[in-house]
Amino acid sequence: MTIGWKKRSQITGWVLGTLTVVFLTYQWLPILTLGLLSFAGPTGGTTFPMNGTSLHWYEELWRATVMNDFKPPMWRSTALALACSATTIVLSTMAAQAMRGRFRGSSWFFYLMLLGIMAPGILVGFGFAIMMRILGVELSWNTTTFLVQVSWTLPFGFLTMLAVFNRFDTRIEEAALTLGASRLTTFRRVTLPLVLPGVIGAGLFGFSLSYDEYARSMFTTGPDATLPLAVMAQLDRQLTPEIYAIGTTTTLFSLIAVTLCTFGFWAMRRSTSLRRT
Amino acid sequence: MDTLAPALAHPPQLTARPQLDLELRSIRKRFGDFTAIDGVSLKVEKGQFVCLLGPSGCGKTTTLRCIAGLEEPDDGDILIGGKEATKEPPWERDIAMMFQDFALFPHMTVAKQVGFGLEMLKKPKAEIKSRVAQVLASFEIAQLADRKPGSLSGGQRQRVALARAMITEPRLLLLDEPIGALDYSLRETVMLELKSLQQRTGISFIWVTHDQNEAFSLGDLVVVMNHARIEQQGSPEEILRRPATAFVASFVQGNNLFRGRVAEASEGLLKVETAVGTFLMPHLAGVVAPSGSAVSFSVRAEQITDTLGYRHLNRLSARCTAVEYFGSVRRHVFERADGEVLKYDQFGAHSARIVPGQIVELGWQAEDTVLHSGKPA
Amino acid sequence: MLGVVVVPIVLLAWVSLWGGRAFSTASPLTFDNYARFFANQTYLKLAGSTILHTAILMVVTGVLGYCIAYFLTMKVRSPGWRLALFLAFIVPFWTSTLIRAIAWVPFLGVNGVINQALMSIGATRSPIEAFLYSVTGITMAQVSLYTMMAAGPVVYMLNSIAPQLREAAMTLKATPFTVFRRVTLPLTLPGVVIGQVLVFLNVMADFATVATIGGNKHALLSNLVLLFYESSQIRAASVVAVLLMICMLVGVVIALRVVDIRRLGVER
Repeated sequence: MTIGWKKRSQITGWVLGTLTVVFLTYQWLPILTLGLLSFAGPTGGTTFPMNGTSLHWYEELWRATVMNDFKPPMWRSTALALACSATTIVLSTMAAQAMRGRFRGSSWFFYLMLLGIMAPGILVGFGFAIMMRILGVELSWNTTTFLVQVSWTLPFGFLTMLAVFNRFDTRIEEAALTLGASRLTTFRRVTLPLVLPGVIGAGLFGFSLSYDEYARSMFTTGPDATLPLAVMAQLDRQLTPEIYAIGTTTTLFSLIAVTLCTFGFWAMRRSTSLRRT
Repeated sequence: MDTLAPALAHPPQLTARPQLDLELRSIRKRFGDFTAIDGVSLKVEKGQFVCLLGPSGCGKTTTLRCIAGLEEPDDGDILIGGKEATKEPPWERDIAMMFQDFALFPHMTVAKQVGFGLEMLKKPKAEIKSRVAQVLASFEIAQLADRKPGSLSGGQRQRVALARAMITEPRLLLLDEPIGALDYSLRETVMLELKSLQQRTGISFIWVTHDQNEAFSLGDLVVVMNHARIEQQGSPEEILRRPATAFVASFVQGNNLFRGRVAEASEGLLKVETAVGTFLMPHLAGVVAPSGSAVSFSVRAEQITDTLGYRHLNRLSARCTAVEYFGSVRRHVFERADGEVLKYDQFGAHSARIVPGQIVELGWQAEDTVLHSGKPA
Repeated sequence: MLGVVVVPIVLLAWVSLWGGRAFSTASPLTFDNYARFFANQTYLKLAGSTILHTAILMVVTGVLGYCIAYFLTMKVRSPGWRLALFLAFIVPFWTSTLIRAIAWVPFLGVNGVINQALMSIGATRSPIEAFLYSVTGITMAQVSLYTMMAAGPVVYMLNSIAPQLREAAMTLKATPFTVFRRVTLPLTLPGVVIGQVLVFLNVMADFATVATIGGNKHALLSNLVLLFYESSQIRAASVVAVLLMICMLVGVVIALRVVDIRRLGVER
């Protein structure tokens, strides 16, 4: 062996590390560029050179024109996302709680839930649209799209809650029960606070997955578009830095939400974990 | 001058002397700020059963891992079978290791696992097959050959781990708390089996444990470690009867520990003053204990008696706080005037004469007192 | 759940068998639509290239993902760095895949960032057209989108291997590469397969990236569905949809068999 084993291990480490860092750049560069370009000057095109920096495109975004109004889609997307988030939280917690009981057919229940993740968006959206047409139900963003979006976000929330409940020590609940608390009170005062990080995670999933969802929504919104659909439509017509502005704001928004939540988790974990005295 | 030349032509180390299976020379290992091993030296002879004994964090496991090659020492040398092995990776050393949780490969059958070491040595398939069958039979696990670790019991897994390690006929077998994961009832049996295995095969075993019973019943050489250092190494008898330091005395069960100052040395006996009285003890061979120096000493619980005679030069009074029974041993626990605990063990079936609350005068012979080297902790 | 996911998909299968022209539940059932699809060479070529494209992506993300996963779990010592790196990879997932796909457009175009960079360092004299509106571009974007899906399950499986297993192998005379080949890799195989399945499903269903970066010059099976739908050719659309579905099911079933074999399987 001309190179010692320790050296070889180190070299492997460096090679893999470089690969990882290169990939990281690869992954982030487009988004960062997007962000940068969104600040392009009024005469700037969709790529470099930027022709100065300005908030022009953000202003364009704000100013509504007949062809280019992104505000209604934004409101619709936000409303939908909030509704999805709330529904996901409630349903996934209930579902995960039910799974703890291991009722008959619980594995079927589990697989059914997972189906939502596995089934591709276009198929679900397409099929659902057909179904609605057959049933004579009108497609609208706040009914049919809501339903399909929940079918997409629910499994994610479900898995999150399952994972949280898995690590949950049931003995804590049993202790509460032996101290005289009813099942409902136990859930409210003991279980819920402890699984709160998971609940928040599920809510976050619900929100962001719904906000960014386009495949299912595409077929089911009827005449009113959600934001991703509006963006796609605009893309078909012409790519402008205004879209970059949208992209940047959405991304920033997601990032801030995630950071806040992670922070929240961390803080909550610190306050509820048993400290060593 | 000429007559010296032939003598020097064969310097002493190269004459035929039995090779040491393992030699550690001043090994030092640090993890960041923490010093795990600080100047550990050890010599293991051929076919010796060595136990590294000590509390958690004393460095025994790190020492074992350095011998295996899983950690590289910052300083010092490791020689396996007389050959310099300090820089060698684990797969080139003449060792095998048994891990605490056995570390069996979950995706391989027992037969495949046990043969793994031989596969690595590029032995021909036919040979591997027959050796594996042989080893499995000798460990009485031949019927498990096609099973996977997940379906085995703790005892069975331990045998597979052992078979896997032994098949390569290493010079050293390193064992990291090997019976800690077993049920209590199984441990005794396994200990005896392993002891006889070692004696039969002549492989040196290096066994790490925090359990004294294991160490003293199994080891030919017991190495007591504490805080990255070796406190004492010797036969079990030596360590039990003549603890060298205050730590060893307190770590090993059944010792009563005292601390005091040397008052004077007279007639071959040392006089030491403590908070509970003045005591006489023999000097340590070759050690000078100047007057006024702080020392510690101990006396074993079974060497104390309450029927005092003229030979019992060391005496003190204490109040009995409890009487415990361990089989045929009756242990009396006393509280000394300085608040420390004193243990007095009595063998045999006589009826108890001492009851809790009683104040008794106890004594022991001067020769039974063991003075410790090294500073008292 | 049942209603929203399962029924619609089954419905598609039914619709794909409709004869006639009108949108009516009373349509006779026939395989005509399928016949028409398979008779068309273009469509068949499309299906083939979709599968090829997906396969390439699976391989690339698989290898890349494994390397990254290995680096993260094995080579990074301090848990602080590990968490930081992990977050750096995961966070983009919280942003819209659509936006991330769009973000590639300024990169790939004739005036795009890549071309500008290449020209400025003199690697090429004239801009390479081959990025935007090409399979290369689509692949590049999809690699950046989906590699983490391939890496995630592998990270999970790598973490679950106790370090003692690798150490034990080393004390049994196995060199590091052998340890990887005989111990680490087999034990992480389920993770690799799961990751590949995720990538497979996502790439096959991904029409947005293809549309955004491929422009109108490229289409894969998923885009075809959309195309037919928008031109109200419901039957054709559902044929393609069913085809897509079948491909995916086949893929998943194969994957499950492999994982199963590994799990219960025995290294003899």
